[in-house]
Amino acid sequence: MADTLLWVLPLVPIVTALVMLTTRDRRMLSAIDIASSSVLLVLALLLAREVRASGPRAFGVLRVDDLGLVFLLLLVVLTLAVSIYTVGWLRQAVAVGNMQADSVRFYFALVHAFVATMVVTVLADNLGVLWIAMEGTTITSAVLVGYHGHHHGLEAAWKYIIVTTIGISFGLFGTVLIYAAAAASAGAGAMSWSAIMDVAPTLDPGIVRIGFIFVMIGYGTKAGLAPMHLWLPDAHSQAPTPVSALLSGVLIKCALLGIIRFQTIAAAACGPGFPTTVLLVFGLISVVVAAPFILTQHDIKRLLGYHSVEHVGIVALGLGFGGPVGTYGALLHVVNHGVTKALAFFAAGTAIARYNSRDMRVIRGLLGVAPIGATLLMLAALSLAGVPPFSIFVSEVIVLRAGIGDGHWAAVAVFLVMVVVIFAGLLHHAGSMAFGEPTPAAGREREAWSPIVGMVLLAAIMIALGLGIPGSIDGLLRRATEIIVD
Amino acid sequence: MSSETVHAIIDDIGALLLFTMILIVAAGQIYRAIYAVAAQSLLIAIAAAVLAASTGNRDLWVIAGLTLGVKAIGLPWGLHVVVQRMNVRREVEPVIPIAATLALAVAIVVMAFQVSASLGPIRQAITGNALPVGIALTLTGVLVMATRRTALTQMVGLFASENGLFFTAMAVTQGMPLIIEIGVILDVILAALVMTIMVLRVRSTVDADIADLDRLRG
Repeated sequence: MADTLLWVLPLVPIVTALVMLTTRDRRMLSAIDIASSSVLLVLALLLAREVRASGPRAFGVLRVDDLGLVFLLLLVVLTLAVSIYTVGWLRQAVAVGNMQADSVRFYFALVHAFVATMVVTVLADNLGVLWIAMEGTTITSAVLVGYHGHHHGLEAAWKYIIVTTIGISFGLFGTVLIYAAAAASAGAGAMSWSAIMDVAPTLDPGIVRIGFIFVMIGYGTKAGLAPMHLWLPDAHSQAPTPVSALLSGVLIKCALLGIIRFQTIAAAACGPGFPTTVLLVFGLISVVVAAPFILTQHDIKRLLGYHSVEHVGIVALGLGFGGPVGTYGALLHVVNHGVTKALAFFAAGTAIARYNSRDMRVIRGLLGVAPIGATLLMLAALSLAGVPPFSIFVSEVIVLRAGIGDGHWAAVAVFLVMVVVIFAGLLHHAGSMAFGEPTPAAGREREAWSPIVGMVLLAAIMIALGLGIPGSIDGLLRRATEIIVD
Repeated sequence: MSSETVHAIIDDIGALLLFTMILIVAAGQIYRAIYAVAAQSLLIAIAAAVLAASTGNRDLWVIAGLTLGVKAIGLPWGLHVVVQRMNVRREVEPVIPIAATLALAVAIVVMAFQVSASLGPIRQAITGNALPVGIALTLTGVLVMATRRTALTQMVGLFASENGLFFTAMAVTQGMPLIIEIGVILDVILAALVMTIMVLRVRSTVDADIADLDRLRG
């Protein structure tokens, strides 16, 4: 059963993408979209139950364990939310001419191809397949980033595809080095993560160290860690809003999963101190670099992009502080940030459509014209800023506790200062958008139902995770942490 | 072939690869860079064939054929067509002088050999000097991408970078799984296709080089 599920999961979005090419009817396409995402969610939940009952399962080059499940569940939940959101978003985008009605099917097909590559990424056991799928996400999403076809979008797409393709070729180099080190003892299966993990303590630390640094730069580029983050604010701000949510919510997390897979190998071969130090350095740089751009930003989607750099940095910090607490905090932060950031992009997208501008100085008095959307935007901003009782506050505190417990005082101090600065910056931006007199540019039409349903779904998860982590999720995260920390 | 002969051949090919890389870095015209990267891919295909003959690994024959067809003929020919179609009189447009890029490239090569020399046990796992040459090609390819302002030259840098990767990968004594290599080549083709479409699209709408757009800042 679990074996079948493993290969059916990536097949669902691929088949959906092909089916979508056969019709031009927008309602039909949206229906297929939501149905396919729901099927994906159900299958992923079934798989999670199987894994809980009988442990990790492998099928060919694919394998699922608790660590992969954390990312898989995040992916399928956000995909469903994106599908629901897209219904209303698309109607509006077609109405104002941002999307051509007769080519919408290509957009949908690309989104599902993108989802398929991400599913393979989180399920890949073979590190070569992991790389191929990761490059596949770049190709599919680069087309989506430039989908609107105006030159800003194409500029962002070019920067994205060039920077991440170079970055990721470093990732492949690192993979080859670690494979070369493992091939002598593990034989033909030496490209699969589980086989390498069996022999990891015997690998030559010198090669693994260089391999890990290559991988860190490679997948770190894709994850948006500074200083390799240059593509991220452009791509995240120029992509169509549902794609931005997927890029920021899931894709950069998939790259983090790649890093975590190699981190476990490096920790076994060179001792845990080496990979955590590297992660700590990249995490700190990301948190520090993002802050000034967040403060001075006027474009709301760029703001959210830079904010992703900061939060990926926090995840890297959690992994860098290490130990069960830091790793647990990092994984929880992956989930929390994914859900919250997707919500934030959704809310920002509806606000941009209403004001026909992405400049935060133009978006004023949103509460007056779109009370539900404005409330959701405020909720997302409060959560992103790290206000209790929202979920991000919880994971940030756990990461912080791990840092203090390990005595990384300097890192903790920098982290705290940056979080406070970003807190102030973000709340200032969000407050001025929500309150005040609506500018004349504001559209006064009624709020569409589907974006609201999509956003409420995410907001509910966000608030629930802030109030208390349910036992099943807590158990999953704990088992995933054990895989990393061991 | 004895393993010493194979070692020697791979090292000779490695030296020629570094030479083609210098040609790419020094190329003042886009055509020359394209021919140099085609020659480089041809050398990679020859290296794959030599390794296939010596190790008896049939997969490597497939890789040699694919490299020859796709990277030595297909992609350079495609680039050539695009260059003619766009009628670019613009040359490679370096950001920093070519002499400075060359100096940096030399530094990269020296560093690559230094780093690999410090890794003792890798000598058994990777044939000859394939590791330092591969690292040098990959990093120099990145250097070319970073220091050129036109999109097509950046693509040439990307192909050179991938060539370095392939050279190291095929020299791993156990051989890479064939399916992985094919997947990687497929990704390269798709990426090249998407990039070309983007380049042509920007050229047709705003008559500018896509790599030259710089409106998105801050």
